[in-house]
Amino acid sequence: MKVQRIGILLLVLCIIGVSVVSTALIRYEKRTRARDVVNKGRYLVTLIALHSVKDFEGNKRPFFLRTLHDYIASEGLAYCLIHDHAGQPFVVLDPYKLVSKIPQAVRLKSLHTMGLTDQTFHPSSSDHTVYEFAKSIFENGQQTGTVRLGLRPPPISLFSMDRVGLLATIAFFIFAMVPFVFLGIKVALRPLKNLGLKMENMAGTSMPVETSSAKGAAIEDVIASLDESLGLLRKRYMRLEAANIESQAKKGVIAYERKQIARILDAVHYGIIITDTQDHINHMNAHMLNLLSKERDDVIDKPLGDVLEHEEILSFASGQEAGAQKTTRRDMETTFPSHAPGESFQVTLSYLDDGDGSITGKVICVKNITNQKSVDRAKHEFVAHVAHELRAPLTTIKSYNEMLMDGEIADLETQKEFYNTINEETDRLAGLIANLLNMSKIEMGNLTTDRELVKTDRLVKDCVAAIEAPAQKKHITIEKKLPDKWPSLVGDKELLKVAIINILGNAVKYSPENSNITLAVREQDHTVMFDVLDQGYGISEEDLNHIFDQFYRSSDPHISEQTGSGLGLAMTSDIIQLHGGRIEVQSTPGEGTHFSIRLPREDYRLGKQ
Amino acid sequence: MENNKKILVIDDDAQIRRVVELKLKKRGYDVLMAMNGEEGLQVIESEEPDAVVTDIMMPKLDGESLCKQTNHLKKQRPFLTIVMTNRISPEDRHWVKEMQDTHLMEKPFSPTRLLGCIDEYFRRSES
Repeated sequence: MKVQRIGILLLVLCIIGVSVVSTALIRYEKRTRARDVVNKGRYLVTLIALHSVKDFEGNKRPFFLRTLHDYIASEGLAYCLIHDHAGQPFVVLDPYKLVSKIPQAVRLKSLHTMGLTDQTFHPSSSDHTVYEFAKSIFENGQQTGTVRLGLRPPPISLFSMDRVGLLATIAFFIFAMVPFVFLGIKVALRPLKNLGLKMENMAGTSMPVETSSAKGAAIEDVIASLDESLGLLRKRYMRLEAANIESQAKKGVIAYERKQIARILDAVHYGIIITDTQDHINHMNAHMLNLLSKERDDVIDKPLGDVLEHEEILSFASGQEAGAQKTTRRDMETTFPSHAPGESFQVTLSYLDDGDGSITGKVICVKNITNQKSVDRAKHEFVAHVAHELRAPLTTIKSYNEMLMDGEIADLETQKEFYNTINEETDRLAGLIANLLNMSKIEMGNLTTDRELVKTDRLVKDCVAAIEAPAQKKHITIEKKLPDKWPSLVGDKELLKVAIINILGNAVKYSPENSNITLAVREQDHTVMFDVLDQGYGISEEDLNHIFDQFYRSSDPHISEQTGSGLGLAMTSDIIQLHGGRIEVQSTPGEGTHFSIRLPREDYRLGKQ
Repeated sequence: MENNKKILVIDDDAQIRRVVELKLKKRGYDVLMAMNGEEGLQVIESEEPDAVVTDIMMPKLDGESLCKQTNHLKKQRPFLTIVMTNRISPEDRHWVKEMQDTHLMEKPFSPTRLLGCIDEYFRRSES
């Protein structure tokens, strides 16, 4: 297709070139010939007019006509008329029969104008221009005649041999110039094409790969390509504009989220330091700044070593300590000089990566674990105590049982004593387990405790019933001072029973035989008060400070001789607190003890929790 | 059966003292009792028992302190100490190892085995 187009273009160019050159040549030749004709005509007519009229008559006439004939052939003489003084033509040479076609105006002007005239006319039925020259013949100062000459320039042939050669040369040159012109256009268009390609690349499109056969790509292709590229660029620009708006929005969101993350990090109750790969601080949260007594501006972008004046942590964070494995999370325990030596801090080092495993920084967390350690220690001690308390009855049961099984106890009375001990220790074991379960329930707080209406009359009756048997065994009298109108409570009845039975049980356990215990229940200032007074051994001042501690056992022989887990009063205190109440104790060793429990009086209302 | 050996039982738990006392008396041993380490120390010094059976966790003076305070006495007058405890910790094993003629026994314990231990000690020391 392209070759065809090139051929047509070449042909058109050739025709146009030849036509333009031919037209120019013809015009030039026409003008040149006209000028020659005018010069020649003037010369010739002047030459003839120099003669006398008589020279055209007689025997001179044929000679003259012959001479003129020669002019017809060589100089394009169209006609020759010589008029006498009266204007009558007496010599007429008219080989082309043109004289009759001379316009009247031309004839009159030629005949009646003195001197030399030249004028042109177009004889009818002919396109050729005829030049007429006229000059009067003067003899002895009088006009004796007029010479009129008509000259007709020979027609200009487009395809004369000379011209055909010239045109062929021109055509050849045009053809010869084509590759150069094409090359020139190509070179000239190269920047445009490059521009087009660049624009397409900018627009994110790929142009078809240009092949050698496409080298002659027409300018329209380039323009079309540019236009297409511009369209793509416009789309690309619009996409970029949209992306820019989206990017701005995202930037805003990121800035907000960044601040939010900083606020979250500030809200946590441990110190956080985030560093880059060069150990320069990227972020330090409020807790850590407070711990180091630093301002944020004093630490950001500073080397960790300049900010954290703590050799132990720095060594740990740099991963230089023995056996340290980089990239894995590690912990260490330390203290801070600005804090009490007893306060322990856990330092955790984690590595940040970019998702592909490349380390991008570190996160150092510093947490005060003093309380946690204390809790852990307490838990450990609690478990040890529980194990000890559980093993004690088990030891008795096992050893007593073995004695009985081995027949070591022959005496029936002792046998009975042993069986009773085993029974009591089994009850003690069961009681311990129940206490542990209750403690677990109390520790879980409101999650597991019931909130139900507790009628105090029923509660007191159940509690007294539980201690009546051991009291009777020791001949202890329980004196009850009860209200006429029983107040009500809202809470966990079973736990409240445990609390009051513990107090009453202790009163029985640690009172001598034949003594009195008083239980008083009354309502006072929207509280329900339970008072338990005994005439027991009393509690020493030192023991009073610890009686509500878990597993605390007094060294007083009256107390230590009795079996006990050290859990009862601790649990009682927890139960009362869980119900929003208060427990108080007053005691005088040797005289007795007064436990006082206050619980908020509350009427159970539907929907109220 | 009378073998004239004096054995001191130190425990704050009366029931444990009772069962050990019965078991040892049945064998013919002379059984002494103490309710805590402090009392036990006094009895060791005054009565010079041939064997001591003691708990670790006790008021006033614990079993470990008692053993450490009486260990020097064994150089002149060796006697057996059986330390009974609810839970044997590595620390307990460590300090008991440092003591002369001292053994650990975990609670709950077998009175027969306790007696066997004591008998074995006396048998060896006599032979």
